[in-house]
Amino acid sequence: MSTKEKLISHVMKEEPVASANKVTVVGVGMVGMACAISVLLKDLCDELALVDVMEDKLKGEIMDLQHGSLFLKTHKIVADKDYSVTANSKLVVVTAGARQQEGESRLNLVQRNVNIFKFIIPNIVKHSPNCIILVVSNPVDILTYVAWKLSGFPRHRVIGSGTNLDSARFRHLMGEKLNIHPSSCHGWIIGEHGDSSVPVWSGVNVAGVSLQGLNPQMGTEGDSENWKAVHKEVVDGEAYSPTSSTAGTDEKDQQNESKMKMLEHTWAYEVIRLKGYTSWAIGMSVANLVESILKNLHKVHPVSTLVQGMHGVKDEVFLSVPSVLGNSGLTDVIHMTLKPDEEKQLMSSADTLWGVQKELVL
Amino acid sequence: MSSVLQKLITPLASSPAEPPRNKVTVVGVGQVGMACAISILLRDLCDELALVDVMEDRLKGEMMDLQHGSLFLKTSKIVADKDYVVTANSRLVVVTAGVRQQEGESRLNLVQRNVNVFKVIIPQIVKYSPNCTLIVVSNPVDVLTYVTWKLSGLPKHRVIGSGTNLDSARFRYLMSERLGIHASSFNGWVLGEHGDTSVPVWSGANVAGVNFQSLNPDIGTDGDKEQWAATHKAVVDSAYEVIKLKGYTNWAIGLSVADLIESIVKNMSRVHPVSTMVKAAVVVADSLESEVGEMPDKERMWRKWLWNHNLVATSWDCGKGLLPFPGLHHHPGPQVGAEHQLHHQEGSAEVVLPEAARNLTCQRR
Repeated sequence: MSTKEKLISHVMKEEPVASANKVTVVGVGMVGMACAISVLLKDLCDELALVDVMEDKLKGEIMDLQHGSLFLKTHKIVADKDYSVTANSKLVVVTAGARQQEGESRLNLVQRNVNIFKFIIPNIVKHSPNCIILVVSNPVDILTYVAWKLSGFPRHRVIGSGTNLDSARFRHLMGEKLNIHPSSCHGWIIGEHGDSSVPVWSGVNVAGVSLQGLNPQMGTEGDSENWKAVHKEVVDGEAYSPTSSTAGTDEKDQQNESKMKMLEHTWAYEVIRLKGYTSWAIGMSVANLVESILKNLHKVHPVSTLVQGMHGVKDEVFLSVPSVLGNSGLTDVIHMTLKPDEEKQLMSSADTLWGVQKELVL
Repeated sequence: MSSVLQKLITPLASSPAEPPRNKVTVVGVGQVGMACAISILLRDLCDELALVDVMEDRLKGEMMDLQHGSLFLKTSKIVADKDYVVTANSRLVVVTAGVRQQEGESRLNLVQRNVNVFKVIIPQIVKYSPNCTLIVVSNPVDVLTYVTWKLSGLPKHRVIGSGTNLDSARFRYLMSERLGIHASSFNGWVLGEHGDTSVPVWSGANVAGVNFQSLNPDIGTDGDKEQWAATHKAVVDSAYEVIKLKGYTNWAIGLSVADLIESIVKNMSRVHPVSTMVKAAVVVADSLESEVGEMPDKERMWRKWLWNHNLVATSWDCGKGLLPFPGLHHHPGPQVGAEHQLHHQEGSAEVVLPEAARNLTCQRR
């Protein structure tokens, strides 16, 4: 008898039950691995699968994670180039794709990533026909549309990480300014992830107290001289230091609010310029979404979904709106009452996105 | 007209900001340092995290990336600077700085390169956090922990090397995979040098208290038909293999460092295999060297010393026969414990040794 046989008697006659909460991460670059470690450290799944085309890197990453098994509560961590390893996933996080270069706008990444998705999405669907797909690769709104089209899934099972991260960054800046934890600062950024995202100033509040109610000029670009000065500062790459509180006059606050909004989307570029890529924040924000889905929380998140028919959008585009997430996927959307200029911005984003989407070869 | 801030919030107390209670500093924002940082943050282990490095852009980018995730965290202050002033009042400082092990390079080859780096780092850390506990991760960790101890002037119990905490974790994972159980259900200790000459203590390996060596007396030897020793060899080789495949290792070491930090900040008195000062008084038979030194009250790691020198105790003066190995206590006599208890204040201090150690005789394993 072997040592194992002397030690252990197998007493179950049936086949072991399949994993109940399997998560797959496609792409083991910096973003994919940040998603993986965040999901693992939050104990969200009972099986984690990783897929990539770079075989050595994939194998190295999986070994490194497995070596940490003692400290984790995810017993099965697997990886392969072959998608059969992803079978029966509840949730598949797609981070694969080319990385945004310094100065490159997200829209420029599009066609490169569409071609990659043409390989990935059908493979995911083949092995996990009932999964929920969470798209992270940029430009996320377009690629969520692409994933939806290529998968043939109903719209509630194809979600884009969208402005979940933009909103988190906004709430961080707000928290720094007010010296309050971001979870107590409420603010929603919706629409297109990135350059033209829309901060809904009317909803910004702490403990239900509307900040715009306290300062009706909030978010407006009333003083064009000041806006230009702010814009110049941003363009020159001088990062606004949120800890140097200049709270004082209304005017300063107005500047700061606009500055905050302006800077929010440039911070991604700033982080890319400084360290080459962003990873930790997006990883944590993805784990936040995974948690709501797998634990069926019915929490509301600003994520990218089909918004055709909402806010004046006519085309099949995906934009971020507050959405309810649970284990069926994205089941409901919250109606926001938007100002005319906010709706206009959404429609304009939709037009831009559709302009790109209709040229794509799917 | 009052500002939004003034209209929204009425401060009740205007005292200066409280100092942090559980501040952790990570020195070095390479892959290992950042893996440590993210593991510490996601385990909610500190109320303030400071990062230091010489590469300013990279440092700032990493700090910002972490700060952007602050909504999802419970660590309200994340700071970074090239200047060590940002590390002031740390309770724990994790040192990951240094040059990286190249493919095929043994850990010992890194020594001089990293000693020079430490001559700059360690005095700065101690200057700003004279009461901290230092955890050294940079390789070769055992040597660099010694170097850190010397350069810092800190007492021995406050300078700890991450040591074989990771080797033991890898060992427990690889062994448990062969058995189909979770790593935490397989108990096994790897002691000694982190790396090539680490020592798997086969006599202590057990599942649910069932001792492996009693099931398979050949375990760990060349004569073992099941070649369990190959599993330990895989532990030693695995670091090199991961480096070859992805260029570096980071996730496992990050998780293992967070595990140590958890024990320290939560004052858990858990037992970990970590690198600490080993100095013992042992009288050795035959032609083996003897090392007799002063035996201070705490800090005697004699059993670990024995294993490092490939020795096994065969008898002691009261004729009780084979001494128990770490983790198992057969003797009704004086407690022989060579494990280290990590206390939050005292680091790795509690090692209890019997007087009888003076009268030990040993032979080669």
